[in-house]
Amino acid sequence: MRTIKPQFWDNVHEGDEFTLVEEMPSKRLVMWAGASGDFNPIHYDDQHARGNLLPDIIVHGALKGMLIGRLLQEICGLQGHVRVWNASYRGMDIARRPLTVYARVTRTYFDGTDALVDFDVGARREDGSESTRGTATVALARIPGTQPVSRD
Amino acid sequence: MSEGHEDLTPAMRSAIGSMTEPSVMEVTRTGIRAWALAVGYTHPVHFDERAAVAAGFPDLLSPPGYFGAPAGDPRRREASGQPDFREEFPRTLHGGSEVEMRERVFAGDVLHAVTTLKDIRIVASRSYGRLLIRVSETEYRRLADDRVVAYNRNTGLAY
Repeated sequence: MRTIKPQFWDNVHEGDEFTLVEEMPSKRLVMWAGASGDFNPIHYDDQHARGNLLPDIIVHGALKGMLIGRLLQEICGLQGHVRVWNASYRGMDIARRPLTVYARVTRTYFDGTDALVDFDVGARREDGSESTRGTATVALARIPGTQPVSRD
Repeated sequence: MSEGHEDLTPAMRSAIGSMTEPSVMEVTRTGIRAWALAVGYTHPVHFDERAAVAAGFPDLLSPPGYFGAPAGDPRRREASGQPDFREEFPRTLHGGSEVEMRERVFAGDVLHAVTTLKDIRIVASRSYGRLLIRVSETEYRRLADDRVVAYNRNTGLAY
């Protein structure tokens, strides 16, 4: 499984985009249901999904949100900190189709001595359409030895 | 009166600002491992306590967004006390969420979760007709040191 290398603030620039392509087999939705406690059958029972006029079971919204969290945590590594992220679940994602989770840098700046990065985040389907969209802020580590000088 | 509040019933209006009693959330190694596996984490600090300690943590590091599982018998879970208006709005969707991390959370932490119903609105939706929007905020506070570790804000939709 591909992971993102932890980033230093000094190497991150506006417009940089980080992505993870996530497979969504039914097994994964069952694992998430067990781990999260969300046993809505729309996420694991094919008959129930079809009875609700869906072609297949759908991905939990919260799982999509936490995939964004994981992407941000990988960008941060253990030296950085995920501060906040949000996600609006604008569309349903059918299971058994890959989902691309992204974080695109919109701003890098300092808050006191904290080196911060803002992102636009979300999830895209195979056809490029977005089902999930939000924003995030993380604090990243600096390259060792660098001084906390603002870029502005 | 702001948009979306005009059609609220008195029961809905009075529910705004209501808070639940604290729920006890247990952050366990098993819970962290299962949650981290489902989301696809691979770093050993979420799975191997020796790796976590070697990294300077007291125990397994909980991934951001995981705040444990409710303590107690799940068959006897008490109602939150907050109305959900299911009779009029029976179908639910998860509209969105926000996680704000204040501190790291570890296996062994016991948290109190208190949820405040911040807002209720009714709007007209092209897809769903009359749509009930509920915005809630859960504060997670670690019992050991009484520090707030995170906020989780959720938007629930019902139609």
